[in-house]
Amino acid sequence: MTESAATAGVFRHVGFFYRTAKEYATTVASFLAAGLAADEPAFAAVPAGNVSLIADPPGADARHVEFKDMTQLGRNLAWSIPLVLGFAARHAGRQIRYGGELIWAARRLACPLLVADGDAGRSPEYAGPFRLPSSRSHALPAPPQAATIHTYRTDLAQVRALVLQHAMEAGLPDPRATDLVLAVSEVAANTLRHTPSDGTLTIWHDLDEIICEIHDDGVITDPLAGRRRPAPDAHGGHGLWLVYQVCDLVELRSGGTGTTIRMHMAIRPPRPLG
Amino acid sequence: MDLLTTSVATVESDSEPYTLVELTGEADVTNSDALREVLDAEVAKQPRTMIIDLSGLRFMDSSALHVILRANRVMDRQGGVLALACPREPVAKMLRLTAADQLIPVYPSVSEATAG
Repeated sequence: MTESAATAGVFRHVGFFYRTAKEYATTVASFLAAGLAADEPAFAAVPAGNVSLIADPPGADARHVEFKDMTQLGRNLAWSIPLVLGFAARHAGRQIRYGGELIWAARRLACPLLVADGDAGRSPEYAGPFRLPSSRSHALPAPPQAATIHTYRTDLAQVRALVLQHAMEAGLPDPRATDLVLAVSEVAANTLRHTPSDGTLTIWHDLDEIICEIHDDGVITDPLAGRRRPAPDAHGGHGLWLVYQVCDLVELRSGGTGTTIRMHMAIRPPRPLG
Repeated sequence: MDLLTTSVATVESDSEPYTLVELTGEADVTNSDALREVLDAEVAKQPRTMIIDLSGLRFMDSSALHVILRANRVMDRQGGVLALACPREPVAKMLRLTAADQLIPVYPSVSEATAG
């Protein structure tokens, strides 16, 4: 669970780990209640099953909290970001409170503060607003030896055909196979748009997921590239947006050695929330 | 064979003639300049209505979308109407995810687009 509360124009982003439902309910409900008491609009994106934990304690005035079911958003963390930005935009000029329960506990996240047993301490991973944590620049684990490697320059139709063929062989059901084709094609199109050299497509899969990686010489400096919803009539910015929307997980590394973007698609449906 | 083929016709109808552009194949960054030239040339003739038939389009990326959005802006300025007809599901989904379908009307068929 991560919570954000702003006080007097200050942005606070706090991560909170919980062991019991009671600890969860008490902490999250009081976080939201404190916001409501201060006339701050409150927004909670949590698994539907947890809404009652937050809303039911005596004194919790959940009528004024806007809830979203995180399980509906859960495949991809990128889906929650536009919702939070949208909530903030609807209450522009006001302090807001947001509590978001992220799905995959094993996923590495960078929060400025971590709360454990009620104490807040600075997270060693946090690099400041608008900066990527150091884990985002760590090298990704190498693809397996058996991965298919394909170099492309302008033939994106061949890139798409290769992705579709591998997705079918891996058993990725069709609507999601064409989603993956779109995502890979959009990233490969950026190679053509922004670099003078070849790009490399690497594909592999196991029983659980298929992964397509694009590497090229380009550099992406904006850590939120593709995370904000572009205006429908924007002159650019739809490509990476689409990539984040259709994939289950997108890993991006960009720096001196170019840009690597890994697009993951689960072959079996994602596990339900525990 | 080209990855993307375009054909343009002026269609006489009961009310008034409209421009029909049919796209067939795959529209991506490698042919978006060619698509822009075709659409620009038609838009410059200031038709009241232009319909882009997407039924033959197997794939469309954001480059092609930007070309269509650009044509839509100019049509708008000229007081004309651009409509999209019959996108296959992958293309329809992409139009939804970018919210382009909020800017440009999308119809299940060309005949419904002309009635729209």
